[in-house]
Parts: sequence; C-alpha cells; structure tokens
Amino acid sequence: MSAVRFERVTIAYEGADRPALRDVTLEIPEGELVLVVGETGCGKSTLLRCINGLVPHFTGGAMAGRVIVAGRDTRTHPPRELADVVGVVGQDPIAGFVAEVVEDELAYGMECLGVPPETMRRRVEETLDLLGLAELRHRPLATLSGGQRQRVAIGAALTSHPRILVLDEPTSALDPGAAEEVLAALQRLVHDLGMTVVMAEHRLERVVQYADSVLVIGDGQVTVGEPAAMMAGAPVAPPVVELGRLAGWQPLPLSVRDARRAASGLRARLREVAVATPPARIPAPSASGGGPVVPLPHVVSGPAPIAATALTAGYRGVPVLQRLTLAVGPGEVVALMGRNGAGKSTLLSALAGVMAPSAGSVRIAGRDPHALAGRGLLGTVGLVPQEPADLLYATSVGRELADAEHTAGAASGTAAGLLEALAPGIDPDCHPRDLSEGQRLALALAVVLAAAPPVLLLDEPTRGLDYGAKRRLVDLLRQLRAAGHTVVLATHDVELVAEVATRVALLAGGEIVADGPAAEVVRSSPLFAPQVAKILAPGPWLTVGQVQQALAVPG
Amino acid sequence: MRPRTPVASRAGRAIPGTRAIPLSARSWAAIGATSVVGVLAFFWPMLAPPGSQVVAHAADAPVVFGALVPLLLGVTLSLVGDGAMGAKAVALLGVLGATAAALRALGAGIAGLEPIWLVIVLGGYALGAGFGFVLGPVCLVASALLTGGIGPWLPFQMIGAAWVGLGAGLLAGRLPRRAELPLLAGYATVAAVGYGWLLNLWFWPTATGLPEPLAFVPGADWATNASHWLRFNLTTSLGYDLPRAVLACTLVLLLGRRVLASLRRASRLAAFDAQPEFLEAR
Repeated sequence: MSAVRFERVTIAYEGADRPALRDVTLEIPEGELVLVVGETGCGKSTLLRCINGLVPHFTGGAMAGRVIVAGRDTRTHPPRELADVVGVVGQDPIAGFVAEVVEDELAYGMECLGVPPETMRRRVEETLDLLGLAELRHRPLATLSGGQRQRVAIGAALTSHPRILVLDEPTSALDPGAAEEVLAALQRLVHDLGMTVVMAEHRLERVVQYADSVLVIGDGQVTVGEPAAMMAGAPVAPPVVELGRLAGWQPLPLSVRDARRAASGLRARLREVAVATPPARIPAPSASGGGPVVPLPHVVSGPAPIAATALTAGYRGVPVLQRLTLAVGPGEVVALMGRNGAGKSTLLSALAGVMAPSAGSVRIAGRDPHALAGRGLLGTVGLVPQEPADLLYATSVGRELADAEHTAGAASGTAAGLLEALAPGIDPDCHPRDLSEGQRLALALAVVLAAAPPVLLLDEPTRGLDYGAKRRLVDLLRQLRAAGHTVVLATHDVELVAEVATRVALLAGGEIVADGPAAEVVRSSPLFAPQVAKILAPGPWLTVGQVQQALAVPG
Repeated sequence: MRPRTPVASRAGRAIPGTRAIPLSARSWAAIGATSVVGVLAFFWPMLAPPGSQVVAHAADAPVVFGALVPLLLGVTLSLVGDGAMGAKAVALLGVLGATAAALRALGAGIAGLEPIWLVIVLGGYALGAGFGFVLGPVCLVASALLTGGIGPWLPFQMIGAAWVGLGAGLLAGRLPRRAELPLLAGYATVAAVGYGWLLNLWFWPTATGLPEPLAFVPGADWATNASHWLRFNLTTSLGYDLPRAVLACTLVLLLGRRVLASLRRASRLAAFDAQPEFLEAR
C-alpha cells in the first residue's frame, strides 16, 4: 500500500494568477525517503503541506483532485485528523517549539492527541534513545545547538508515532556537522523503522545520495523517478552531479565515492591538460559569472584595508580570540573557516567595530572601527550578520532602502539600484520579513553597500540560500573583488569558498591555524574540500567551472 | 515562514476590516444578551425604580453580577465564531493577550497609566469586532493573572474591556484612511475615560463615607443618582482617568501606524478569510 497518493491534484491559491500545483499524480510507497527538489517558490512547500492537509484547510485556496494519506482523504480529514499519521518538521525548529525543556517538547504532541501518560513516558524514552537525545533530556531548548534543536523537532514529531514524516528544508540552516547529525537520524528512521520520509531540501550535495527517489517540481508540475535519472535533468544540482553531466557519466553518480570511481578517465585527461598548462596557470575563478552588473563604486587604494594585530577579544571576560593577527589587502576575498565556536563571528564583530578588543588593535583602512560612528563607520566597513533580518527594521522594502540611503548620505536610488541588480523584481511595498532568504540577503547587502564601504564582512551568507541565490551571491562577490573591495566571509560552505575565495584562514580555538591560498588550504583538508576537489584529487581543480575551462584549453 | 505566491499577490490589497473571528447572527445575539446583562450589572442603581426590592440588596449586587458576568462571557466566547474559533485566531489572541499582560506589568496601573489599551483598541480595530470583543477580556484576565489583579472587580473590567474592543472593531473599515490614526486616538481617549467611569459603578453604590452629593442614594430617582455619579467621577477618579486617556491617546498616535502595520501583516499572513474549496479533477 502506498503511504501517500496524489490523484490529479491542482492547487490554486486565492488571488494567484496561476496554480501552485498543476495536475499532480504521484505515489509514494511506504518506507521510502523521497527528496523534493526545485527552485524557491516552485511549489515545494505547497506539495509538502498537502500531505498533512494544511493545504487547503489552513491556507485556503481551491483544490481539485484528492490526496490520500495512509488511506485517509485530506478533503474530508482536516490536519487535526491527520496528526497521528503525519509528522511535520519545519526549517526553523525554534518557531515550532512550544515547551521550554527537551522532554516536555517531546511529550507535547502526545498530550494534544490524548495519549495515556504511561504510553507517553515510554515513547519519550524510546525517542530519546532513537535520536541520541538522552543526555539532553533536561536541557532548556534555548541552549541547544542548531543540529540538536532540529533533532528534538524531529523527535517531537516522532513521539506521536506517525507513519509519514514530512520535512521542509531540515538542514538548510545547519552547518555541515549538524546536518550530518540530522541526516544520520533520518537514515535510521527509514532503514530501521521503515518510516516514509518526504523531504524538501536546497542543500542537495548533502542529501541526494540518501534518497530512494527524487521528485522534481518545476513550475507547478511534478516528475518522480530514480535519483540518478531525475538529477540528470533537474533545474538544480549539486557539484558532483554537474561534474557528472559535464563528463557525460552514465549512470550519473550522486556521491563522491561513485563519482571518484567513474572519474579515472577524466582525471587522466585533466592530467594531460595540467602538464600542458601547469597548475599555477589553471584559470582562477572568472571575474564575472555573466550575471547582471552591480553598480559598485571603485575603491581607491589607500592604507591596508584590514590589519588586526595581536587581537584578543571575548565576551564577559572570557577571551574567544587569542592574540590573533590578520592582514588583508585590497581585492582579497578571505574565507574564515573552522568549527562552531572557533571565533569566526567574534573576529567579524571585532573587525566591524561592534566589539572592542580587550588587547591588541584593529585597523580598517588605517582607522579604528570601534572609535568610528555613524557615516564614518558605515563608509568604512559593512557587516551583514548571519540573520540578515537583524539589519532590517522598516515595514517595507522601499522604506528600508530609503532609510539606508538617507543614513549613508548616498544619492537617492543608490540602494534601490543595488537591490534591482542583486535581486530584480522585488515589490517595494513588500515587508522585509516576507521575502525569501535570498531576497532578504540581497536587501541586507544593498543596505550595507549603499554606504560604499571598501571592506565588506559577511557571516554565513549562504545559510538557507538555494542554488540560484547562491549563484547571484558568487557573482556579486566576484564583482566586488574586481572593483577593489575587500571581503571577509565566515562560512561553512566549502563550495562557496571554492568559487570565490582567494585566501582561506582556518580558525581553531581563537587562533589562525592555517592561512594560505584557498586552493591549497581546502584541497588538503578532508573536511573542507569541495566535492570536485575530492573527486579529482590530487588535481588542483575546485569547481566544475574550472574543470570546464581546463577542458576547453586546447591540449 | 517563506512567502508563498498567494501571500505576495495579496500584499498590495488594503484590508479595511479583516474579520479574524466572523460573527454570525447567533454570535451577535449572544454578544447582545451578555451586553444587556453587563449594562444591568453596571447601571442597576440608576435603573431600579425608587423603593424597589433591588435596593435592599445593594451589598450583594456586585457579588451576584460578579458571578453572572463571567459565566455569560464564557458562554459568549464559546458562541463567538460558532464554537469553532480558528486555530489562527486563537494563536493571535494568545500572542496579543501575552503582550497585554507584559505591558500591564510595565504600567501596573500607576496613576491609571495602562498601556494595555493600545493593544485592545488597535487589536480590535485591525482584526474586527468579534476579535475585539474576545481580545478585551483575554487581555484583562491575562494581565490580572500576572499582576495579582484577580478580584470581584475583574468581571466588570472584562465586560468593559470587551466593549472597548468591540467598539474599536466596529470602527474598522468605517474610518477614512487618512484620518484613521487621529480618529482612533480620539476613540481611545473617550474609551479610556468611559471605561474608568463605568468601572466606578461596580463599587460606587456600596462605597461608604462619601459626602452626600457624591454618594449613591438608595431609593432616589435615576436623575439624582446619575448626577451624583457624574459628580463622583469628576471629583474622585478623574485623576486616574485623565492620565489613562492621555496615555492611550499618545500611544495610539505614536505607535499606531507601526502596530497597525504589523497586525495587518499578521492578519494578511494568517489569511483569515481563506476558505478551502474542493473541485472535481478536470
């Protein structure tokens, strides 16, 4: 019996000019891990919400056809009558938590369903063990890490013993380690318990190798099939798949292991190219990705953009950075990498002048950022925080842009022009918090860049971005570099580093443990190497674009 | 939550009067019946004919009405929305109730300075009469729990606040867009003073030690008692009512635009008027 069946489902929201889903017929067998793939706004969330009846019972709109979930028709069963068979986990676990403590949160769903107390106790224990949460049982939810929170959210959905688990981008906002934790837990549910898992995810490089089938949504229409076959034509793809498409491998590999096995021929061909054109001359990331040209001012060279000397800084007297020294020149794009808590964000705060160093000094273009204020600071260094919404206060995009121009003393239309180039077509009356992650980042970037700071700092800029938004960010960073700006970004995203960074500084325990050209630092690390580097090691290539260029060089 | 296409396309449309809790004829009847009992609870001293039996029970009246009003309010709240208030409306009620409770703890009634009126007036105005009628009592009960304000006066506060919220909700969609805020501020001022005067009534008949022209005269005609009550209001509680009114008015003028914008955004995202519709597959 199939766990979920869509029969000719069409969903049209009120006021929308075209349906969100169009004539979708599909069947999800029991015990399968299904990955839902598509660009932002293509109808992924609508499809997922159809499974537990939120669409159309909660959202409104017209629905044609029917969805059968565990034998129940969602037309006649509202979400509350599906709560015992479908568990839902969202992208931001915090937004869904009700209780304060892990145990209470796990029990909450069962309390709502009226499960007897003895059964609740037993299931809480089972779930704690199943997801490896036993040590965290008495911890307040607010003190958990991102991966732990997401596992608690999955646990809370599991305690009511659903047969189907629906996850909307469970690892998009997580760092690689935390994402591993969550995916391992999901693997276990599918393989050990035979649970059906339906998951939408942007970060395909993390999940595609675990999927039993892939469901591609494009423009409201859905196709389902074997992962390898589906990925060959999917609108979004991880680097390993793109490399496979470039090399024409059949079947298309989905994991680094499979790709490496298929890649011996490609490696040999590339070796010849590398002999003809020595590795040093392997083309660097190109200056422009062909995207829209962002109106950026050119930076006139002056004193060293960033010079931090023997910098010590921390919170409440506990030092996070230990006598750290970092000098960055104009036109450099430096990636700060390292595990959570290594001091990446603290370093960015100190460089942005948000935090005063307790010892040592920071100079941005020769000036102490902490002593600067107002326009002086805005025009010197700009920081886009991990959650771009933290920079946005106005009630509409248009007002936010106007405020930014006013505060920066920039000409009217500067920020609006930047936003139009970064993310075209945003309605200025829209509320900043109603934007997608990518649009919100573009707005925050436009606000910061309106003051034309020569130094730009970015904290985890690719969290929650889909491939399209990431490509636009890469374009912007390359253009900033070409215009002489200095960029420092703290990130876990090795693919981004491979695309844009000229230099990588690896932080551990508040010190820089490795600092060098991006290619050398990331290629030698098993953790930080991008997929292409792992497949083509020991070759010097990091991105599919580089491989493409190398192959195009007449050998 | 990421925006879906329908939300984005709804963004431009002005929502003059959302009805987070739709009111059927039955709910209106329940609100009317409760309000009649509420009016009696407040105004019995003036309505009772001279020499009637009621006056002899002046001392128990607050207790009787104090028990009756919350019961009726309970019935009304369950009837409003026809017994199935939407999960979204309940969630929004909870958030606004908690906000009001937190605000009450800030003001704690010093010289009548209670920012809670901002929540009730703007919440009712942005989300409709039914929501306003429920929001008033919820805010008062939530804040009473937090500040230890539970007592025989609470039922009277609840019905008073319900009326303030209902009134704000009835204004929704009827105010000209440009003069919206000043008019709302005016309503908040009148409502704050009116609420204060109304609330005086619950203890005024039983208050002792008042000088003759201010006191309730058992058995006197309604005109005498009404004028005594007015004098009582002007001479005693105005010191509380005026600061409360000025604060409510100022807050609405200062914060109204932003608070209304975010309440309207919440109501737009919640899509209260969205109804599922099922069609046959083509």
